Amino acid sequence: MEYKVEAHRIMSISLGKIYNSRVQRGGIKLHKNLLVSLVLRSARQVYLSDYYSGVCLNTQHVEAKEWELMDSNQEKPLTPAPEESLSPSTDCNQNPVVPEDPEVQHTSQAVEDSTDLHSVYSKHQAEEESSSEDSTTDVSLTSSPVTCESQCEAKGAEVSSSDCEADANPATVTEGNSQQPPKAHSCSNRKRTAEKTASNDSPVKRTKVTSSNSSEEEAEEMDTGNVSNLITIFGSSFSGLLTKESSEPEAETEDSDSGSGQICCDQMLKNLNPWSTAIVAF
Amino acid sequence: MEEEIDNRKINNSFLRDHNYATEADIISTVEFNSTGELLATGDKGGRVVVFQREQESKNQPHRRGEYNVYSTFQSHEPEFDYLKSLEIEEKINKIRWLPQQNAAYFLLSTNDKTVKLWKISERDKRPEGYNLKDEDGRIRDPSTITSLRVPVLRPMDLMVEATPRRVFSNGHTYHINSISVNSDYETYMSTDDLRINLWHLEITNRSFNIVDIKPTNMEELTEVITAAEFHPHQCNTFVYSSSKGSIRLCDMRSAALCDNHSKFFEEPEDPSNRSFFSEIISSISDVKFSHSGRYLMTRDYLTVKVWDLNMESKPLETYQVHDYLRSKLCSLYENDCIFDKFECVWNGSDSVIMTGSYNNFFRMFDRNTKRDVTLEASRENSKPRAILKPRKVCVGGKRRKDEISVDSLDFSKKILHTTWHPSENIIAVAATNNLYIFQDKVN
Repeated sequence: MEYKVEAHRIMSISLGKIYNSRVQRGGIKLHKNLLVSLVLRSARQVYLSDYYSGVCLNTQHVEAKEWELMDSNQEKPLTPAPEESLSPSTDCNQNPVVPEDPEVQHTSQAVEDSTDLHSVYSKHQAEEESSSEDSTTDVSLTSSPVTCESQCEAKGAEVSSSDCEADANPATVTEGNSQQPPKAHSCSNRKRTAEKTASNDSPVKRTKVTSSNSSEEEAEEMDTGNVSNLITIFGSSFSGLLTKESSEPEAETEDSDSGSGQICCDQMLKNLNPWSTAIVAF
Repeated sequence: MEEEIDNRKINNSFLRDHNYATEADIISTVEFNSTGELLATGDKGGRVVVFQREQESKNQPHRRGEYNVYSTFQSHEPEFDYLKSLEIEEKINKIRWLPQQNAAYFLLSTNDKTVKLWKISERDKRPEGYNLKDEDGRIRDPSTITSLRVPVLRPMDLMVEATPRRVFSNGHTYHINSISVNSDYETYMSTDDLRINLWHLEITNRSFNIVDIKPTNMEELTEVITAAEFHPHQCNTFVYSSSKGSIRLCDMRSAALCDNHSKFFEEPEDPSNRSFFSEIISSISDVKFSHSGRYLMTRDYLTVKVWDLNMESKPLETYQVHDYLRSKLCSLYENDCIFDKFECVWNGSDSVIMTGSYNNFFRMFDRNTKRDVTLEASRENSKPRAILKPRKVCVGGKRRKDEISVDSLDFSKKILHTTWHPSENIIAVAATNNLYIFQDKVN
């Protein structure tokens, strides 16, 4: 458990560094940010693996644990404060990203974006993710814990086939992390349970949570779109590694954007401005 | 080597005007020229200060060639990239001297984006006796001119002027971290995080990209280039180090784009030392060829390694600079010290290597006797002409009288930049905004 606390602390510090690098004179230093993102990844791995060793022992309590951690993570403030207590909260719908903004709109937006962050993390995009996005949108409007639980479960399931390792994805992962440290945790938690869940569960969950689309190709396209939208978002508000250091990723995002015309992407784009404001406030 | 160190004296301690350390005065690079006659320093404010060694005089035999300010000029100004909304720092990242070919001196100085070639020349005569203008420069009334005369050169007070002769701009998207002059004295290379460009000293509007490690998808980026240097004798060979702790040696004869290395130097990681910060501390901050060209020295956060160019599997020698910091990596990560880029330097005969540490300490390792020493560059602890006393860091247990415990080290006082005279035992050490020059007493 000590490792988990330490890993969490290091993750918070890393995110703080990435955030501060935005306002540094002379532009973002690629080398330093790369190293910070590597540390972030290592810490995340430890954080996850630590959780795994506990969860694998008792599969029946997976959902309960997930719920607990989701609560505790979502109640954490946005700023990269040092070690936060892991006491669970009762309200799953507390907006983890913008605590000061109670609007449901933002909540849904935040949840959407957290799912997108999720997709950024995992290299293998699964359709569950994209479909669950919509489901979470619906779910997050209510404040029923039960709904939340299913949402968490769905999110957990959707990543069942995704790879925990954000292999060779430091830049984007970094960007995502910098935006929402607690989201990182919730994503990690979801991912943990996802990996825990057997892969044969995923088809079941897939059909259950699908709303906007069910075809694999569409989903993958959307996932690419999600990633690219994230890049756009982060590029505009985060002045992140990709968009500031080179213009190529920007071109990529533009291409992907035109390619994907999914609902989630549109929703995200519409809500871009309030999200940017939130990030700037952070 | 012990005797050498005991006799080491402080020659001069050059201080800036202010007593407080303004950020612009922080020295960011130091470099002797190829004869050791000149010493250049660059600072965060974009200025270059060049020191020249005094000629030894019979009148004052004890003043063995001290270094005095020779020239000061503003090399780089802060710029703003409007397209990317980025400010470009004026901090001088590296200075490299060109070998002297005439009476003037030439050096290359670079900030994050632009390399400039500066000519430093002396003027000690000026023409007097113009016909059309008087000594003040005002145009004379033609009607008052009654005779014709030829201007003659008359001696004047020595004036050292620095003029920018070439500006090599728009070559780099990322931050330039090193420059290296080729042994052919015609070309040089500039290195940023992902690319290395080859320039001709005469041509500013074109450069050749010789290394490009930028992945097509930036999300797949795993390592960056941290330093690069040309081989001292072979004009076709250069090395570059990476953030992953590897060094690649490339031969420009094999291909125009040297993405494929000829040699790959990497030491396998010790699994027992694995931590969150293993990747950071293995990132190489400096790479230097030995003067002989046979060896390579690399500096990562905790060690200095000497490599034999003929052996790629592991370094020839590894020296622990400050291994007591290994248990403090987390704190050093928090206060950003773990990202400090220390430089390393060879002495003229390649027998001693030197690098900096914290608390204004710097370390020297004798490769032959395997002895090492820790010295301190500070005004409080050394007076001019005093002999430097070796320092010791107490790792654990009982602290002896003169030792310093690890916890009382001042991590804001770091020696990142040092340089060694090419042939004599004179070293220049930059401690934040102060420059220390140490000289060996033995003649």
